[in-house]
Amino acid sequence: MAVLMMNCKTLYYLTITTLVSVLTACNDSDKLSLSERSIIYCSEGSPETFNPQLSTSGTTSDATSKQLYNALIVYKGKNNTLAPSLARSWHVTEDGKKVTFYLRKDVSFHQTNYFTPTRLFNADDVLFSFNRILDNNHPFHNVSGGQYPFFESVRFSELVEKIEKINDFTVRFILKRSDSSFLANLATDFSIILSAEYAKQLQHQQTKHELDIFPIGTGPFKLKDYRVGSLIRFYRHDSYWQGKAKIEQLVYDISPEKRNRLTKLLAKECDVSSYPIAHEKITERDDLTLESITSLNVGYFGFNTQKKPFDNKLVRQAISLAINKQAIIDTVYQGQAARAKSLLPETSWAFDNKTPELGYDPQKAKALLSLAGYAQGFTMDIWAIPVQRAYNPNAVTMAKLIQADLRKIGVTVKIITYEWSTFLRRLSLGEHQSFLLGWTADHPDPDNFFTPILSCSASESGNNRTFWCNKEYDKLLEKALKTTRVKERKEYYAKAMMIINEEMPLLPIAHSKRFQGRGNDVKGNILESFGGISFYNVSKKPLNSKVGNVILPEITDKASN
Amino acid sequence: MAREKIYLEESFPSPFIQLWGIFRKTPVAMLGFCCFIFLVVLAIFAPIIAPYSPVDGNLDMILLPPAWHDNGNVSYLLGTDELGRDMLSRLMYGTSLTFGLSFIVVVFSLVIGVIIGSLSALTKGIKSSFLNHFLDVVLSIPSLLLAIIIVAILGPGISNTVWAIAIVFIPQFIHITRYAVKEEFRKDYVLASRLDGASNFRILYYSVFPNIVERLMSQATLAQSAAILDIATLGFLGLGAQIPLPEWGAILANGLEHFYVAPWTVYLPGLAILFAVVATNLVGEGIRHALKLRKES
Amino acid sequence: MLKFTFRRLSLFVFTMLVLTLLSFSLSFLFPGDTVINHSGQINATPTELVQLNKAYQMDKGLFTQYVAYVSHILSGDFGQSMASQSPIRDEIIELLPATIELSLVALLVAMLIGIPLGFIAAINHNKVSDNAILSMAMLGYSIPVFWLGLLAILVFSIGLGWLPSAGQISLLFEIELVTGIQFIDILLSDSPYKWQAFSDASAHIILPACVVALAPATIFIRLSRAAMIEVLATSYIRAARAKGLSFKQIIFRHAIRNALIQIIRHVGLQFANLVTLAMVTEVIFSWPGIGRWLIESIAQRDYTAIQSGLLVLSCFIFIIHILTDFIYAALNPLARGNKYGS
Repeated sequence: MAVLMMNCKTLYYLTITTLVSVLTACNDSDKLSLSERSIIYCSEGSPETFNPQLSTSGTTSDATSKQLYNALIVYKGKNNTLAPSLARSWHVTEDGKKVTFYLRKDVSFHQTNYFTPTRLFNADDVLFSFNRILDNNHPFHNVSGGQYPFFESVRFSELVEKIEKINDFTVRFILKRSDSSFLANLATDFSIILSAEYAKQLQHQQTKHELDIFPIGTGPFKLKDYRVGSLIRFYRHDSYWQGKAKIEQLVYDISPEKRNRLTKLLAKECDVSSYPIAHEKITERDDLTLESITSLNVGYFGFNTQKKPFDNKLVRQAISLAINKQAIIDTVYQGQAARAKSLLPETSWAFDNKTPELGYDPQKAKALLSLAGYAQGFTMDIWAIPVQRAYNPNAVTMAKLIQADLRKIGVTVKIITYEWSTFLRRLSLGEHQSFLLGWTADHPDPDNFFTPILSCSASESGNNRTFWCNKEYDKLLEKALKTTRVKERKEYYAKAMMIINEEMPLLPIAHSKRFQGRGNDVKGNILESFGGISFYNVSKKPLNSKVGNVILPEITDKASN
Repeated sequence: MAREKIYLEESFPSPFIQLWGIFRKTPVAMLGFCCFIFLVVLAIFAPIIAPYSPVDGNLDMILLPPAWHDNGNVSYLLGTDELGRDMLSRLMYGTSLTFGLSFIVVVFSLVIGVIIGSLSALTKGIKSSFLNHFLDVVLSIPSLLLAIIIVAILGPGISNTVWAIAIVFIPQFIHITRYAVKEEFRKDYVLASRLDGASNFRILYYSVFPNIVERLMSQATLAQSAAILDIATLGFLGLGAQIPLPEWGAILANGLEHFYVAPWTVYLPGLAILFAVVATNLVGEGIRHALKLRKES
Repeated sequence: MLKFTFRRLSLFVFTMLVLTLLSFSLSFLFPGDTVINHSGQINATPTELVQLNKAYQMDKGLFTQYVAYVSHILSGDFGQSMASQSPIRDEIIELLPATIELSLVALLVAMLIGIPLGFIAAINHNKVSDNAILSMAMLGYSIPVFWLGLLAILVFSIGLGWLPSAGQISLLFEIELVTGIQFIDILLSDSPYKWQAFSDASAHIILPACVVALAPATIFIRLSRAAMIEVLATSYIRAARAKGLSFKQIIFRHAIRNALIQIIRHVGLQFANLVTLAMVTEVIFSWPGIGRWLIESIAQRDYTAIQSGLLVLSCFIFIIHILTDFIYAALNPLARGNKYGS
């Protein structure tokens, strides 16, 4: 009974305005069984780290960004406008070189059994989070490898001169030049805020590396338990600044095999499943829903331009010409994707309709191959991503189709695939000849396609796995960032696309929707148009479920009581 | 000008012919034998009989159900997979991979095993005792586990799988040959030919082998059924045949993704494996049954 | 018995020697740097490499290297996984119990189904029921285990919705890892959902355990049938019959006991077989065991994990083997004089 009272009390304080409804809600919540207060999400892979600053993989940011952390600003609404988050408001000077953020004063960090915060969020946390990336001598810079791929690919440290703390709740970013994508980059899933106090505690305990393993953030959920390759368990962050989440427990059931994920969804062993296969099987069930969201992404077939024979432009062009993209769209995407004409999706404002597309022409491909000195063909490997992504729901099948296409021009293909994190690691080492990968935009700015995928800086940080570096292309991107005039930017990007088309460091294949399957009892938005997913708004309709049908007190973290 | 038989010759059929005489009279065993021969023929002539290529697909005919379904197409009797490849052709080619390779593997390990086994049967002392110990340890590890271990060392791939399974099956043939040869050497007829001055090798070849050949065959069928399962399992786990080889286990693994939409891509290769293993086991049972009957008679 | 123990122990030491030597030499056979294969530290900095070389005595002779390697293993340091970069010892401690749990339950199921059926077949030797059981056994023995698992999921999880298809327990239940064996952990935990969790875990193990158990069960049928036929032909059974004991009495008081002893001898061998089948089944049922982990490591070419995983798994199988030998010897005094196990 005591527990019940306490439970009511917390709820009471949170929503004073609707007292009556609170009391009923309180009673309801007590009657809810374990399964009705929890969500199991079947995810497609293990996160590489619990700090999205350190990785650009979608699996990592899905598991961490919107669950554990908040950024200063976010994209909101149908028109994807920038909205406040940890920053109440912000101000940009006219020359675009000074950006000031006014921070919220009521944000608390997670309390877990490894950390108890003594203060609320303030400017020190912002400074810590970004200085860690910017300052090579920062005590935490080299913890967990010292690589910040997203920030390196957008040349963040070249852009930001310094960050000033004006007072406890005001910070100012001083930029070396104006950059039209700066705010957009701060709104991505990667620009999250860590706790400076926690870092200090770890430094004191000499366990600095735990910062990215046992995360502390301000997000709606906090980490309870992680078993590599098996599960991530989150508990609700009860004093979340936007009000606590409706579900109390969030479990990521890591199931990399597509069939397993579908089986679990069909057998109701998970409530929500990422990237489901066999869409028709889900739509024919009336207790399951298949949902999708248009996401700005591109799936591509990239070549390692540092390795033979792909250091030869002609070979890249020949291979690209030999691939029947439409067949791939029909088979792999089951017609649910748009054929990619270039790197940038046609839905982006910067897309120039005049951009030509490389067609399907095996005859010409053969001619180009013999011109390049490979009349007899050659043997190559294709690295296919092991996980499903929106931009590529089935890379192995795609690789098989490419294998069949290339056999026609005398090229023998070996298909190689590894578990996700091993795959990314080996890819960044450049062990591959060619690879199937893709990119999901983190914000609507077109630069988010051009710079992270193909720029020289991205090739150094390992994000550009074609290792292609073209000065002319980079210059165009730089010019496009300096101006804010839409027409001018569009022109620069059109030129950049022409270069890609000529040089063919990669063959863009498709822009696809992101799919997700869920049980009908799960309510609330999960998919977000940019970056990852968020479970903050999710609730579960009471249903007679098989598991955990016993009325018991609220799940609470022992340490927090 | 037929010659009349003047003398009533009493002919003694060889042990092998005797066995065949009994084996022939068991209908179930004969059925298994016919299936076995069918599979052997299929394994050899798959490239000629198969209607389509096992690797190139027809992208207009994706995930077509078998012909007896409403949406089936008669020209694709067993349907197609996700790349429009004909299941029937893939299964036929798969016969030469899964069944054919297992056959070759067993013959290979049989030959090696018999050679080592008979040599070791003729040796005594420490060498023999060491071999015994060693065989004890190796035989106590299941063949699949040992194959997985060897593939782990050699790396995934169909040729490595074949080597792994060949190595795995040698010890059991050594064991059985050694045991059988030792047993035969204790018998009087061996002593008789030894008194005639025959060398060990001659005794082995002319006297002992004809008498142990059925036992070896019985062991070989056991080994083959295990070999089919092992090759298929390794293929299924992605450690054996690599994409796009139509090995049965690999076809099955490939169909997994479409299990709920196109279940035939999973149950057909499974049935093929089951069929091959049952046929092999039936032949083996038939041989063992005949052996028992011959002993009793 | 002392001599017997000594013999087994020497066999054990011999085998461990062979196994560690094998696993030690694997580091040389696998591509890449030997010390990195030993330790799995693929991201080691030059200074760390120097330390590692020192720890594994890489500058000394092969024998010293081997001793260093074995002492690392004995102190529980298996290196770290190349793929996940976490200590392999922790991963194995987490995963091996799950495999043991599945295998033990499956062994129980196989014995409970196989042995009585075998006895029934033997008692009705050469009759219809004998033949029916034998043909069933052959069919069961021929079914590929991964296919059976898939069909079981299709029928019982998706079609009928009776049993869960994946994992050890619904992830909603938070059970602290103590022994790693789920059932024991549930009983030890102070979760308010204890009994629910227990029934949920039981529901989860039914399908995989039955799938794993099928093939060994058919072998138990054959073994127990053969053992029973042999026992029924012995003179003490004939004597018992002559004494006028009823058929029931003969079977239950004499025949079964003696036949069971013969079967126990084979349990060790069957357990090894069962663990192998469990490895494959774990993949299908997403069972968080060492088999799935090992197969994944092979596909990843995570050499350190392969090496240590194989070592631990084969040690485990061998220990079970020796244990059953001991049990058999304890139950059957006749076996103790045996020179070596057949």
